Amino acid sequence: MDFQDKVVLVTGASRGIGAAIARAFAGEGAAVAVNYLQNTAAAEAVAAECRELGGEASPFQADVTNGDEITSLVGGVLETFGKIDVLVNNAFRPYVFDPENRKMFWELDWADYQTQIEGALISTHGLCKAVLPSMKMRTQGAIINIASDLVARPTIPYHDYTTAKAALIGFSRNLAVELGPFGIRVNCVAPGIVYPTDATRDTKEEIKDMLIASTPMKRIATPEDVTGPVLFLASDWSRFMTGQTLYVDGGLVMN
Amino acid sequence: MTERAGYLPGLAADEVEWRVLRFGRGIETLEIEVPVLSDAQMAALAARVRDAGRHHLKTLSTARIVNIIDQAIARLLDRDDPYRRKAEALLPVVTGYDGEMIRLGLTGYLKTFRKPELNRFLAEDFPNPGILDDFQPIAKGGVARAFGPDILVHIWAGNVPGLPLWSLISGLLVKAGNIGKVPSAEPLFAGWFAQILAEIEPSLADCFAIVWWKGGDIVQEKALLKEAELVLAYGGNESLAAIRSRVPVTTRYLAYGHKISFGMISRAALDVRKATTAAHQAAYDVVRYDQQGCYSPHVFFVERGGKVSPRDFCRYLAHELASFERKYPRRALTIAEAGDVAAWRHQAELKVLSRPEHEIMGDAEGAWSVAYVEGDDDFAPSGLNRTIKIVAVDSLADVASRIAPYKAFLQTVGIAAPPDELYRLADDLGRVGVTRISALGQMTAPEAGWHHDGRFNLLDLVTLTEIEHSAEAVSDSFAPYVD
Repeated sequence: MDFQDKVVLVTGASRGIGAAIARAFAGEGAAVAVNYLQNTAAAEAVAAECRELGGEASPFQADVTNGDEITSLVGGVLETFGKIDVLVNNAFRPYVFDPENRKMFWELDWADYQTQIEGALISTHGLCKAVLPSMKMRTQGAIINIASDLVARPTIPYHDYTTAKAALIGFSRNLAVELGPFGIRVNCVAPGIVYPTDATRDTKEEIKDMLIASTPMKRIATPEDVTGPVLFLASDWSRFMTGQTLYVDGGLVMN
Repeated sequence: MTERAGYLPGLAADEVEWRVLRFGRGIETLEIEVPVLSDAQMAALAARVRDAGRHHLKTLSTARIVNIIDQAIARLLDRDDPYRRKAEALLPVVTGYDGEMIRLGLTGYLKTFRKPELNRFLAEDFPNPGILDDFQPIAKGGVARAFGPDILVHIWAGNVPGLPLWSLISGLLVKAGNIGKVPSAEPLFAGWFAQILAEIEPSLADCFAIVWWKGGDIVQEKALLKEAELVLAYGGNESLAAIRSRVPVTTRYLAYGHKISFGMISRAALDVRKATTAAHQAAYDVVRYDQQGCYSPHVFFVERGGKVSPRDFCRYLAHELASFERKYPRRALTIAEAGDVAAWRHQAELKVLSRPEHEIMGDAEGAWSVAYVEGDDDFAPSGLNRTIKIVAVDSLADVASRIAPYKAFLQTVGIAAPPDELYRLADDLGRVGVTRISALGQMTAPEAGWHHDGRFNLLDLVTLTEIEHSAEAVSDSFAPYVD
């Protein structure tokens, strides 16, 4: 896969899956905008790794749930790299994945749902809108939204989180219909539990063993496992795919 | 692979000098042998066609001729027929057009020459088509009969497959002896059609001929022109003027010059649902035969005020062109054609520099380009080969006055607009010289009986012989049964 001369914006790219995605694009020659919220040092380190891998890269600080910051983020990327070919909406609102102590349905308030739905959708909505003029102008572009395989198989019912990710998939399908005639594709990648990331650092071995036992490929995903399908959906190899969700969980979910 | 072009009744192949034209598309190559006739051979051919036309074609009823043409078209519509198979196999190599585009294009085109459509041709031009067979009463009194010329010479141009059929079939319907000169860009189809006709009705085998000479070969051209009673010529104004200078003054000359066609999209067609359909149809008109037809669009005027802006329409169109490139790839361009495309793009790019609201879409190396402009941009031909300009306008009603200076060049307008607007625009467009209005997506497929450039396909070919009422009345007094 060749991403030479392609510009990729990855949100939440200072760590975990986002950082792995940024590195993978850079490894294929892309110019990567590494968006992050707080950890400047980490984002700069990811950008440095990207450059070592052969791509161009710059860190861009922005709270992607804030409209003004989205505008200046996209403006900054366009100013630096001239265009945006690929947008990966990877950032999400902090969530504690704790199977033992998760809130049960009757303990959840609407505000909990609200927080997660906004976390998943405000940034995606804002960023998609912001990159659209640049993509429309060239009648091409790929948007990849990171969802979760919990939508298809809520092994552990993280109600608020999974409902938000389900909304994200619905959002993506609608957007795919709207943007298809402009040559812009919108797809989702839905990983299973990915280890290690900051969000899963405290996941108990027992839980991981349980998931591994039900997973045909008999292991848990690494951040690098997620990158292949993201790159594929960003590339011309998937030029006739839009509105799709690719599950990356070793076969736990089969659709 | 070698194929022989032309149709030369009475001349044995070994008496004729043949020249080879070479064509290639990808790894496929084709050599076409075209005939180079001496003056004497050209004269002999013309004499034979004239004689056979008088003695055979002119004795047939129009209905019979319609039936013969219908059978020939049926063979070309039959995908198992050897000529049809040859057309599908060789025309992509000769013209470079995508095979599927040619296959679908041929079928749609040939369907306009079946019996019901041929009868429509006749009915369009003759209130009573019987006038081609016998004397018929006419409105002013008396009777008249229409005669086609003894020798109708066609000088065809361009590479759109099958195009010579228009005038060749028109010539046959008026019972003319036909001699057609095929262009080097597509020398085959007319000859095949002549062979099929001769197979179906051997008595007509000598009533037509298909010849070739290198464009601009004055000696050959003159040899044929002096035999002609009527000359039909197609091409650019320069070559048409050159031919005209060589046509004897007593010979009628009908010229079909290059035309510019365009599209108009009303804001009423730019709601969220209909806009993508309109973009698809507009792109199809651009893609069909890579804008080589006189009816192909060079510009689309798109009205502001719809739900979808002209700029977004432009993007829909761009994506449609990108999609069509996968379905019907553009043919390989000659160096001159590529130069025209590059020059057109360069011009558009220069305008973007001075007017940042203008845009150019599509890669410079790609197979299509869309230029988006606002304001009163020049109405000019495109660079052809899938280069198209979108002009955003406040009102389509302003377009007619803008294009009025180009009256001599206007032909087809593809319109997407509601009925009252369609009629209003048509009225304005007709005044400034537009002769055909079609739906978007149909620009390159004129319907049967179409009046090419607003003229009469058949009526323009004939002369009327009138028996005035006085002659008829007086003749009564000489009848043996006079009382």
